[in-house]
Amino acid sequence: MPDWKQIVRKNLRVLGVCSPEFTEELAAHLEDSYEAFLREGLPAEVAFQHTMGQIEGRRRVWLVMRFLQEELMTGFIRKVALPGLLTSVAAGFFYWALALDHTPPKLIWLVGGQLPLWWWCLLPICGALGALLSQRNRGSRLQRIAASLLPSWVMGTFILLMFAVGFTFSGLVNHYWSLSDRLESMGLVPPGFVIIPAAFSLLGAGIAEVSTKKSAA
Amino acid sequence: MPSVNAQIKRGSAELAVLTLLAGQPLHGYEIAKQIEAQTGGVLRFDMASLYPMLHRLERKSWVKAEWQTLPNGRRRRCYRLTASGRKQIAPLRAQWRAFFRALQRVTGFQNA
Repeated sequence: MPDWKQIVRKNLRVLGVCSPEFTEELAAHLEDSYEAFLREGLPAEVAFQHTMGQIEGRRRVWLVMRFLQEELMTGFIRKVALPGLLTSVAAGFFYWALALDHTPPKLIWLVGGQLPLWWWCLLPICGALGALLSQRNRGSRLQRIAASLLPSWVMGTFILLMFAVGFTFSGLVNHYWSLSDRLESMGLVPPGFVIIPAAFSLLGAGIAEVSTKKSAA
Repeated sequence: MPSVNAQIKRGSAELAVLTLLAGQPLHGYEIAKQIEAQTGGVLRFDMASLYPMLHRLERKSWVKAEWQTLPNGRRRRCYRLTASGRKQIAPLRAQWRAFFRALQRVTGFQNA
């Protein structure tokens, strides 16, 4: 008899979604399924392949996605949206404060564009704030990560819309913005305001996670 | 057997599971197999659709899950309908009845 618990653990362990209890439940389902195939008269190897078909390939991806979605959406407002909103406010405040403070160097310049270096350095604080607030509201690990990344996600969506609308509009009304300018801004803005901030926020969430674990221990 | 659109399946799944559990407590595999058998294979749950739904129903306190040891010594997580879950069945049935009536009016479809 295959070790179904081990198989489930190996196939579905993503971001701690598969708790020991849930692992056992899915393993039990596979075990019942395997035995039903055997009772139907299938050879053991074929029965095993049929059973594994339920958690392999496309079905495995779908199963993981459904559970991640379920986990993320459980108590979404309290565990993700509100902590994420406060994280966004904090990130926005830091950006505004740095823009107000003319103490150089608050920006680094790169191929004609500007990237907010000091703002990035403050983002781990925001990420940690989001993760801790989510944790306070009993958010799962996935929800804590989502809360700390919410500002980057919102910013990413905003930038995507801005590019789509902006490029269309500027293409219609003027031709001053050359293709190279557009490519340059596309190369700078998404990394500078979405990807790198997300990484710094995630770093903060990670630090909060480790420090919480240490203090709990 | 004609296949049923995923959205319709999803919407009807909760009612099917709650109705089934009104009869007796069952574990996940039994729920999937009984629904498949009773609907002649039209409604078929795979693990990706069944367990997230069962856990969602559990979070809503419509069902309660408990580990039980079967006569063969194996442990299974059995789902039992709660009083709150039982109250949901009538409104869900009413919604589906209204939906089918509306569909009948539009399409002229009649139940066999």
